[in-house]
Amino acid sequence: MKIDLTLNGEKRSFEAAPGDTLLEVLRRERFVGVKKGCGEGDCGACAVLLDGHAVNSCLVLAGKADGREVVTIEGLADGERLHPIQEAFLDLGAIQCGYCTPGMVIAAADLLAHHPDPSEEEIREGISGNLCRCTGYVKQVEAVQDAARRMRRPHG
Amino acid sequence: MGLLHIEEYLRPASLEEAFRLKRAGGERAAYVGGGVSLVLFAPEVKTLVDLSRVPLDGIHSDKGGVRIGASAPMREVLDSPILQTYLGGIVPRMLREVASPLLRNVATVGGTLVAANPWSDVIPVLLSLDAEVTLFDGKSRTIPLANLFPVRHHLGDALLTEVRLPPAPAHGAASFVKFGRTRFDVAMLNVACAVTAEKGRCSKARVVVGGRPDLAARAPKVEEVLVGAEFSPKTIAAAADVAAKTVEVREDRRASAEYRKELVEVGVRRALTEARARLAEGSR
Amino acid sequence: MAEAKERTFSIVGKRERKVDGVALVTGRPKFVADVPIPGSLHVKVLHSPHAHARIVSIDASKVETLPGVACVLTHENTPVTRYTTAGQGYPEPSPYDTRMFDAKVRFVGDRVAAVAAESEAIAREALRLIEVRYEVLPPVLSLDEALAPGAPVIHDEEDSTGAYDPSKNIAADIDIDVGNVKKGFAASDIVVETTTETPYAQHAPIEPHVVQSYLDPDRRLVLVSSTQVPFHVRRIVARVLGIPLSRIRVIKPRVGGGFGVKQEILLEDLVALVTLRTGRPALLEYARDEEFVASRTRHPMRIRVKLGAKKDGILRAAEMEVLSNTGAYGSHALTVLSNVGSKTLPLYNKAPDVHFFGRAVYTNLPVAGAYRGYGATQGYFALETAMDELAERLGIDPVELRRRNHIRLGETSPIFQKLGEGREGVPQTVKSCELARLIEVGAERIGWAEKRGKRRRDGAWVHGIGMSIHMQGSGIPAIDMAAATIKMNEDGSFNLLVGATDIGTGSDTILAQVAGEVLGVPLSKLLVLSSDTDVTPFDTGAYASSTTYVSGKAVEKAALEVRGQILSVAAGMLGAPEASLVLANEAVRAPNGKTVSLSQVCERAMYQEGQFQIGATASFVPEESPPPFFASFAEVALDTETGQVRIVRYVAAVDCGVAINPTLAEGQMEGAIANGIGYALYEEMQISSRGRVRNPSFFDYKILGARDAVPIEVILVPSYEPTGPHGAKSVAEIGINGPLPTIANAIHDAVGIRLKRSPFTPQRVLAGLRERR
Repeated sequence: MKIDLTLNGEKRSFEAAPGDTLLEVLRRERFVGVKKGCGEGDCGACAVLLDGHAVNSCLVLAGKADGREVVTIEGLADGERLHPIQEAFLDLGAIQCGYCTPGMVIAAADLLAHHPDPSEEEIREGISGNLCRCTGYVKQVEAVQDAARRMRRPHG
Repeated sequence: MGLLHIEEYLRPASLEEAFRLKRAGGERAAYVGGGVSLVLFAPEVKTLVDLSRVPLDGIHSDKGGVRIGASAPMREVLDSPILQTYLGGIVPRMLREVASPLLRNVATVGGTLVAANPWSDVIPVLLSLDAEVTLFDGKSRTIPLANLFPVRHHLGDALLTEVRLPPAPAHGAASFVKFGRTRFDVAMLNVACAVTAEKGRCSKARVVVGGRPDLAARAPKVEEVLVGAEFSPKTIAAAADVAAKTVEVREDRRASAEYRKELVEVGVRRALTEARARLAEGSR
Repeated sequence: MAEAKERTFSIVGKRERKVDGVALVTGRPKFVADVPIPGSLHVKVLHSPHAHARIVSIDASKVETLPGVACVLTHENTPVTRYTTAGQGYPEPSPYDTRMFDAKVRFVGDRVAAVAAESEAIAREALRLIEVRYEVLPPVLSLDEALAPGAPVIHDEEDSTGAYDPSKNIAADIDIDVGNVKKGFAASDIVVETTTETPYAQHAPIEPHVVQSYLDPDRRLVLVSSTQVPFHVRRIVARVLGIPLSRIRVIKPRVGGGFGVKQEILLEDLVALVTLRTGRPALLEYARDEEFVASRTRHPMRIRVKLGAKKDGILRAAEMEVLSNTGAYGSHALTVLSNVGSKTLPLYNKAPDVHFFGRAVYTNLPVAGAYRGYGATQGYFALETAMDELAERLGIDPVELRRRNHIRLGETSPIFQKLGEGREGVPQTVKSCELARLIEVGAERIGWAEKRGKRRRDGAWVHGIGMSIHMQGSGIPAIDMAAATIKMNEDGSFNLLVGATDIGTGSDTILAQVAGEVLGVPLSKLLVLSSDTDVTPFDTGAYASSTTYVSGKAVEKAALEVRGQILSVAAGMLGAPEASLVLANEAVRAPNGKTVSLSQVCERAMYQEGQFQIGATASFVPEESPPPFFASFAEVALDTETGQVRIVRYVAAVDCGVAINPTLAEGQMEGAIANGIGYALYEEMQISSRGRVRNPSFFDYKILGARDAVPIEVILVPSYEPTGPHGAKSVAEIGINGPLPTIANAIHDAVGIRLKRSPFTPQRVLAGLRERR
């Protein structure tokens, strides 16, 4: 079947088998920033934004994405300009192996888009569906706090 | 891994069309709500009927209470101002403990009820609120939520379109307690309660225990201790005691029967204590 | 340490951004599965449903007729060579007890067959068509069952070698004596004895095992693998498949976590053979349940520690007896067993009488292997619980008891020489140690004096505070070897080629900082290429906390040679003696103030005068394994009605020498501690009565999530290790050893129960509370 969607701001059209998940379609179409960690919705490594909300793409059937807007990690940066969350993750050492990073950044982007001034508890809740085995979440929470501050600052 | 046995993916735009397509496929067709229960589709299922285009979302409030569209994702319910004020915001409070934001962005209320996972947090709370559900199979009919579960394997092609909550009682409060291993986990046991009490005397009580590991069920003997009595710590302790003695629990991978028994007592006591505190707060 | 404070570094000690950070945070194709090779076959493994069985027959005839199947592998058509899957230096100190495919299966999950097909879907279908008949044998499902007289023999084959006594299911045995413990205990005023047990746990890296193989245009086999040990992969695959090592190239791209589970030649042999047989590229990626069941795990252990001390608390005798469950195959059996003692007992070097002994035992259960901590994690649970009990018995504060007993600067322990990794070790003295300060700083930060024994209540919650101290090692002395190549480019940049294996630890960045410090350049001028067996020089791989110390030293040596060459060219250009020149900020400066840029130096050497390639390769074999130190403190809160345990605060004071990059060092500690907390509170592989893992998913095997909020404070207290690159030691493993004993000791402070069996689930805690009443 054919699915038409807006992917990282561009209108795209993909062929998919009826039982394909969005994760499979995205990776097949070379959006490999979207990672597979479990394929069962337990780890969050595959998170993408679907109509602005972070979802496990391994649980979204490709057909569901038809007519909708998808943003993957590849679509967060604006050309060479990284998203403030990406900058914060880099500066605060929130990336070790990097495998959970795209999914976590996407979840953080969803959180900050809807809650620009989150408490620490809200940040932890916001990334609670993203498992990380490397970091203990310490620097990731700090990075989201830092990103929130950067995003609230007036441009300059 | 995707679903290899699926041959057809259909996206009807209306309730009637959805029902017709499902009926045409019979056992070889299945409705898809949020899709969280993807992996549960039996190998015989060849056709998926995606409900995301059917207008089944939306949350409304009127004289008859609150209506939640079956396709409303849990996130929408959590963020809804209507539910945030309904009976102290019990539904959003419970939803905060369910899964993760990623899962709440896809999982729908209807899908969760139909999946009827025994560890569900949504089901005990809705049961405690005397929720009803509307089923459509050519015609609509509304039944109490509790009546859904015995028949859910015999629903045939009927689909769940709406959840209804009765108007929140005056002098009522609700609470929810969940015991999980980590905070991103299903319940080893959970307790939902909704109590109506005027001048310190309880006139109505719903106490529901879930994750036993069987599906949530009301605990009538516990409710009997409460109704008509003074809603006091002493009564609550007695109710919790009766709960430990009468609520059936079993062992599974997550917890032993013995431990669940302990949790029943603690959970019922804490849930009722919280409800009592909320009532006191509300009456100030 | 005065020395550490006096030194000023230009790039060492800076919180530089990781060199691969931008690629990772933007999702560039950096992992094995991100770069699919067109035409790849998909390989899937058929796993044994039985814990112990002989394969009576395998019939793949139906599969071979399925369209899209390229090849089927079973024990009937693959090499019979016995080897170990352990990624260790040659000769590997693990039994050669594994075949690619055997006629016997030894655990639920063991390899039975493999299929390579055009798609994953066809491969799965094909697996279903393989008909296997088994003769089911009685399984051995516990340590005690394995050692019982008359137990079924798991490795009854003729051609395995290296196991201690397979007829008794003993994979490894060890017995080390110092002095005479019987006399030591007799001379002690107080003797305590305690036994602890730890379960099966899995590393659960978010990226599972995955390997891609293909033939390059010269028909050489290329393996792109998520591995910690590319050079060991090359050697072992060559031997198992019977092909020359020079016909194989192994490349490690970015790895999504290893923690020891990828210190193993787990899947490379399979994809390699598929590619050799079919001529086609092949990819094998484990599903999450396979990663849990059929990769590697931590060794479950039962450890008995007996300590004897005088009234003043000074240890007189120490005995440690270990029973380790190595699962169905013996990879890392002996070395993990040795480490239980070698990384724990030297910490308390006052006892003149020490006895360390134990065995690693085969069972028909998942295969244990290398896991961060490598035996020390299990060992410290026993040892630091025993020390806490000793403190209680003596009426001495636990912190004070550690103070009186721990090893100090300039001291040694006979254990260093007697116990290495599976063989004799190497004598050494401690040349850098801030342990006393770590204890002081950590105790103060957690509020030890104020909180200890107070049992503050907060509704149903009771608070308690506990601690433990630790050492680890930095590499394997006399065995590990690392090498580095540096070559200069005419824009003043350098290629840094290292075999060293970055598995997310940030070693590419660390090693660049080590080089940059010597060469006077920023990270942007250091182009790191790591872990490609064709291009980078040898390195044993990422294990034993070796990369910063061993690989770093090789990099430092190479950089110093290159620096010497730069200065000699610059001397000619500046007309000044080499010894008077200063290399810093990408330029060489003469005493008279004249400078030449690095770019000018290289242009001269490359094109103009006395041309040569400025560059060097250097190797390093460590003579010792300088221990990092760690003082671990935690405040816990315990719900006395449900048994739930919450970490209120975790303080980790650590001495890793000079921290090359403090952010990365903190990250290692935070991650290791978080993993250790999971192991202490939640993680346990549950095994059925038939030997099947019941919870092979994140749904049911719970690891720490972001909401299990644990404020972890890492305090880096620097020392200066004279044998290390710029004074560095290691930091990768030590953190994971803290939580088990620290939390157990904190629970004891809170409610007076001693938990000897992990994880400390609410059920276990509650049962302990009930028992105490």
